[in-house]
Amino acid sequence: MSMEDYDYLFKIVLIGNAGVGKTCLVRRFTQGLFPPGQGATIGVDFMIKTVEIKGEKVKLQIWDTAGQERFRSITQSYYRSANALILTYDITCEDSFRCLPEWLREIEQYANTTVVTILVGNKIDLSEKREVLRQRAEDFAESQSMLYLETSAKESDNVEKLFLDLACELIREAKQNKLDNNDNAPMPGEGKAISYLTCCNIN
Amino acid sequence: MATEELPSEFDVVILGTGLAESVAAAAFSRVGQKVLHLDRRSYYAANWASFSFNALLTWVQQQQEEPQPHEIQDWSSLLEEGEELIYLSQSDSASIRNVQVFCFASEEDEEEAPDTTEEEDSADPQGEAEEEASHKEGEEPEPPLPLPPPAQSQSESAQTLPPPAQSQSEPEPAQTLPPPAQSQSEPPQTLPPPAQSQSEPEPAQTLPPPAQSQSEPPQTLPPPAQSQSEPEPPQTLPPPAQSQSEPSKKKISYAHLVREGRRFNIDLVSKLMFSRGSLVDLLIKSNVSRYAEFKNVTRILTYRQGRVEQVPCSRSDVFASRQLSVVEKRKLMRFLTSCAEETEEQRAYNGRPYLEFLSDQKLGDNLQHFLLHSIAMVTEATPTEQGLAATRHFLRCLGRYGNTPFLFPVYGLGEIPQCFCRMCAVFGGIYCLRHSVSCLLLDTHSNRCKAVIDSRGQRISCSHVVLEEGFVGAERKRSSTPPRFLSRAVLITDGSILPTDSEQQVSLVTVPPAAGGPAVKMVELSPSTMTCSAGTYLVHLTCPSVGSAHQDLSPLVTSMFRTPESPDHDGPSVLWCLFFNMADGSGVEAEGHDLPENVHLSSGPDAELGHEHAVRQAESIFQKILPEEEFCPPAPNPEDIIYDGDTDGDTGDTYGDTDGDTGDAVNTGDAVNTGDAVNTGDAVNTGDAVNTGDAVNTGDAVNTGDAVNTGDAVNTGDAVNTGDAVNTGDAVNTGDAVNTGDAVNTGDAVNTDGDKTSPGEEEEERRAVSEE
Repeated sequence: MSMEDYDYLFKIVLIGNAGVGKTCLVRRFTQGLFPPGQGATIGVDFMIKTVEIKGEKVKLQIWDTAGQERFRSITQSYYRSANALILTYDITCEDSFRCLPEWLREIEQYANTTVVTILVGNKIDLSEKREVLRQRAEDFAESQSMLYLETSAKESDNVEKLFLDLACELIREAKQNKLDNNDNAPMPGEGKAISYLTCCNIN
Repeated sequence: MATEELPSEFDVVILGTGLAESVAAAAFSRVGQKVLHLDRRSYYAANWASFSFNALLTWVQQQQEEPQPHEIQDWSSLLEEGEELIYLSQSDSASIRNVQVFCFASEEDEEEAPDTTEEEDSADPQGEAEEEASHKEGEEPEPPLPLPPPAQSQSESAQTLPPPAQSQSEPEPAQTLPPPAQSQSEPPQTLPPPAQSQSEPEPAQTLPPPAQSQSEPPQTLPPPAQSQSEPEPPQTLPPPAQSQSEPSKKKISYAHLVREGRRFNIDLVSKLMFSRGSLVDLLIKSNVSRYAEFKNVTRILTYRQGRVEQVPCSRSDVFASRQLSVVEKRKLMRFLTSCAEETEEQRAYNGRPYLEFLSDQKLGDNLQHFLLHSIAMVTEATPTEQGLAATRHFLRCLGRYGNTPFLFPVYGLGEIPQCFCRMCAVFGGIYCLRHSVSCLLLDTHSNRCKAVIDSRGQRISCSHVVLEEGFVGAERKRSSTPPRFLSRAVLITDGSILPTDSEQQVSLVTVPPAAGGPAVKMVELSPSTMTCSAGTYLVHLTCPSVGSAHQDLSPLVTSMFRTPESPDHDGPSVLWCLFFNMADGSGVEAEGHDLPENVHLSSGPDAELGHEHAVRQAESIFQKILPEEEFCPPAPNPEDIIYDGDTDGDTGDTYGDTDGDTGDAVNTGDAVNTGDAVNTGDAVNTGDAVNTGDAVNTGDAVNTGDAVNTGDAVNTGDAVNTGDAVNTGDAVNTGDAVNTGDAVNTGDAVNTDGDKTSPGEEEEERRAVSEE
């Protein structure tokens, strides 16, 4: 184990319908793998990745639903103490988009009021099968004061950007809350990944 | 998405998400069993659930609804040769009854324009009519109020839960929530936004060179009275706007409670966790504790001769107590020390009442009361050996985390079953709420249940079934005793029963039996537990039922609080209250029911203060099915899982050395972190934390267990440790450090800021050691 240290740790929680690619996004980001293989997440509570934002090391602890979304049975305690939520839908699946208000109700009910929520349309590699227009999703996200991003876990499009921008946003909020000098707050795009390994190890 | 079919083969099917079922689910899943975990309700935790205020109102409404006649569907067409159906009960008709709600808060904020219709208004006339009809006792419990109470609905006979079809009508509390803009405009936010705590500056930069001169943090010992003050970080939060004593405080309205509804997490059961009880041990052992946070119960109170008094139970309490004389202090200390071990003298009292033993100790009335009712928490008739055992258990738990032997989970007890469910899901368990099992499918040759048929007619094969007992009709159950009930009351009040400087007290109040009634256990929760909104307190009362909950508990409520019946009381006002009776789960036998041998019954909450009953139940079901397997071995720390970076597309993971456990390819290692532990939020650890790497915490760190760190520990926030802290590396703290236990540091300890206080309760014996 290296003596890695860092400046921030954030808990990021993924939600959204089953099959929209939540686990793929996490595995692509944390391990650079696709497809992740279904049984692989057994026993894994969350994944870790450390990134660097303007010279500060940020450890992201990314929690997946453990399959509880499949039958609409996510525990409330899953939402507690999350700093950010990634609400994911599949751009090729209208139904996954139409369920978003239901998810937002859960967020409103159980998540911290200060949580940062980002809407993600995944599977843009399948754009020929697109069912949800980008403009529609953007409008929806804006109406709910969410950030919006389209990704492809398969092609690795925007996956790093997703997590890095989120990290930037979280740091900015953290600094604002601290009434710190905001000049130092990072803007989206200023982050970079440090390592594909979830933790340092003796590989 | 809810239309997706369930898989059709499992090892264990579990119905009900109460604590016992959820612990069992986690245990089975953890050792590789395929688990299907269902609940017909739309929420987790069954009768252990916590609700927001609005969801609780929905729950109340559901209890009061007329039970829908349940249509029994005939699934016999699904039968094969040699099979038989056992139909399960589809309504939890027996477990909750006598639900009564009273609202004593004014309906609207004075300065606000009246809202339009509240959901409950419509139920109002009906509720009152029912009350007229059903109230037999002479006294009318609620006199007229200045304003009509918004939610005054009652029913003495709401015996049945709606059948599962009904449970589709979600208690979706979100609907009754006010628009978010409104709720955000409330100034006293009790939820400390974690984002704030993230904002600590870079710990690495604040690392000063190890300065030897400053290296004895906890040696400046303040007077013991200090230890009364809360060690929790929420202390630093802005205090709620109201303060007890000022008569000019703003009245909290019913509309306010509804608006702040999501800040409430109101438990159906009221229990505490003994810090050396089986639940805490299990949470630590299994690593399920990582899903929850805990608060210390900060004080133990007792109600006696119309007064609320603090019970001195720890050494520091005894020393600090103002109500005990010097002689009493000495006597109490001697007694507590002497009962740690069994003596000849004690044995002579075996079989005789504990009260007799206590009175022969010549302790005096005060001490005898404390020891009997608040420490042993037994009755006057309890035999001495039991009383002593209870006293010892109390004392054993006392030292572990703080000033009292108890912990309480942040966000309420309903979190705990959910945490175990999460663990089950992480290991592959499948979860489905709003989904039930209609019948068991019995193989007539083997007399075993080979499958279940769910409410949609799907056949799901399984080797074992765990059933919440409410699913089994009375005709199949063996019960040697008539069903027992608990009486429960939940109050929302506007102040603490014993106000102090700290508004973040969490109190257990023991109320000895009065006039032949049962002893009442009362828990008062402050907003720091995230179970009630700022400016309010949540009070839970529980006792074994004699009559209805209202009959059993309302006299006590009237005598301890200001209500319309006791308008001149100078205690806190009751804003809203709920009474109900709940079946006492301890009345259910584990064995001997008319059920196939591979169908296992579990029961709901019992009357005890702790959680031993449910944990024991889960463990015994587990061991009956899998006698060779370990019960809830530690789950791996995600940070310790080693993935090899192979990208050839198959499962791609190899994990660290699997120590021969259950077939999941994960190294469970031990519950110890040997890497770098970094926390930038509020870290609350109530277990034993062992860290052999570098620990960096940039938020508030609260450790109420034994913390051992053998690397460098850096904390840039407030660090509070109420257990034993051993650090053998360099410890740097740039915030306020408070230690109330033993702190041993063998490296360099630097505290660069603020106060270090160590209200170590045993300051004479315990000293901080710092050796370079």
